[in-house]
Amino acid sequence: MSVYPQHFVDPIINKSLQKEKAHELSHIPIKPALNVSTDSIFYGELKQKFTNYILKEGNSALARELLTKTFEIIKRTQIERLHLAKGDKGSIITDAETLLINAIENTRPLLHLSAIKRGGVKYQVPIPLTEKKSYFLAMKWILEAAREKERKVSLPEKLAWEILDAACGQGRVVKRKDDLHRLCESNRAYAHYRWS
Amino acid sequence: MALRVFGLNIIKNNRNILQNVGKTNGVPTNQGAAAALYATQVTVEAAPAAVQKQKVSKAMKSYLKRANEHDEFMKTQHLEFQIGKRHLANMMGADAETFTQEDINEAISYLFPSGLYDKKARPTMRTPDEVFPARKAAEFDETGRPFHSMFYTAKPNFFQLLHDIVEETNKLNDLEERMLRRGNKPDENQKLETAGFQLLPKEHLERVLVEQIADIEYQNFSNSMERLIASPYAYKSKAFIERFLKPLIDQSKQLEVPKPKIDEQGRQYITTYECLRKTARADVTVRLPGTGKITINGQDISYFSVEQSKEQLLFPLHFCDMLGKVDVEANVEGGGTSGQAGAIRWGIAMSLRSFVDQEMIESMRLAGLLTRDYRRRERKKFGQEGARRKYTWKKR
Repeated sequence: MSVYPQHFVDPIINKSLQKEKAHELSHIPIKPALNVSTDSIFYGELKQKFTNYILKEGNSALARELLTKTFEIIKRTQIERLHLAKGDKGSIITDAETLLINAIENTRPLLHLSAIKRGGVKYQVPIPLTEKKSYFLAMKWILEAAREKERKVSLPEKLAWEILDAACGQGRVVKRKDDLHRLCESNRAYAHYRWS
Repeated sequence: MALRVFGLNIIKNNRNILQNVGKTNGVPTNQGAAAALYATQVTVEAAPAAVQKQKVSKAMKSYLKRANEHDEFMKTQHLEFQIGKRHLANMMGADAETFTQEDINEAISYLFPSGLYDKKARPTMRTPDEVFPARKAAEFDETGRPFHSMFYTAKPNFFQLLHDIVEETNKLNDLEERMLRRGNKPDENQKLETAGFQLLPKEHLERVLVEQIADIEYQNFSNSMERLIASPYAYKSKAFIERFLKPLIDQSKQLEVPKPKIDEQGRQYITTYECLRKTARADVTVRLPGTGKITINGQDISYFSVEQSKEQLLFPLHFCDMLGKVDVEANVEGGGTSGQAGAIRWGIAMSLRSFVDQEMIESMRLAGLLTRDYRRRERKKFGQEGARRKYTWKKR
């Protein structure tokens, strides 16, 4: 349900993308840009999405501040590691946004289990996830892991640890993904219940 | 047999008359042509008197009665319209002979000023041909035998159209195959240009076909048209396709760019009034050349404490590469932080159009900076917790 008529198209902010589509969009009205989108180099789509998931009760300023703090902690630890490392300094990534993206990619599940009732018995049937849903689950799991903390630790600290862990393929979130995959693997015999 | 032929002749005559009418009206657009093509088969004409002596089926009889009634009705309506027009012309002190539809509209809005919001609800006076939509002519002869093979689909014109589209598509497919076998390629220069066009909307198509069609049927129409247009040899049936296309307005040239004025210090400036977003309202002045100074209600950019709002202000400036080259002054009232920032953002973007080239304006349009954001808070509904959220459902 949108205020704009159906033929309105989402705005494109990237100038090189604009050039590709300029001809076909010359006669089509465009929706206004959102109030979170900018063309600044600090803008990232996944980052924006993650901020929205951190958000509680519409306090977007706080959500943004928390993510910024997280990135600061990540950057500091990575720089420290870089200085302590002996040899092979090229493999240490210090860009926090890249680390966040890596962490999300590493924790993305491919399948999930859904209960399907056949002949009065509920079966746990493995079902493939859409891309959007799998990104959502990855981000949700990372946040859930970060929110499960002691009271003394702040959210940015815990979130930074989780992201750093997940970015190198370790930690609780990656384990959670692997567990789910293993469960799906063991229930593969029921896969056909999706159709029959 | 003779009877049937006779009936057909009458219908044919009617067609000719109508076609001539269409020509004299001189409709230049291709939709006009499309309308004329279908209208020839469908509009009601005076009932053929000679037919009535022959043995006539019940359906034809009732049709003839209805057609006569309709004709009478339209005649009186036309008469009334002419008289009304003359009265209006007298009232306005104009010549009744040269009184056009535009003059009528003007006179009506002057004599019967209406505060009603919806334009459809305001008083109007138009020709009866427009007010009473065209009706179908007899689709069967005196014996009750339909002319059209798809008569019993109840929408013969529509299904004929679908049939025609598929026939065109098949023709093009055959052509493509033949050309492939010969090793020829479609002519790139002649490629059909559909970027500035849109398929006829549903209401328009209904008017052309003089038939009511369902949403799903319109979907079928647009799908098959798209398949036809997608063919590499679509330019071969250009005439057919263009009958069902409607030109779109060029969005990039829609809004006129205002000329900047000169202030006392010899700087160019543009003021945009009524920059609205949510409940905020702003007026924004942009001055060139400047040093990048931003003034909002007498304060600098720290008027906004939230980072996101500051970013919003800089978005159009940074996008046009004008950061530090212009001065911005804004007065805002109403609304909250993000609403105010949005209003100023729109104002800056609109004002900047005067200082950048056409290409950049189009780029800004594509980035969604020049579109007014009409979204408002959605109201809470009764029986629901909020705008969309429902109360928890408990069975008992």
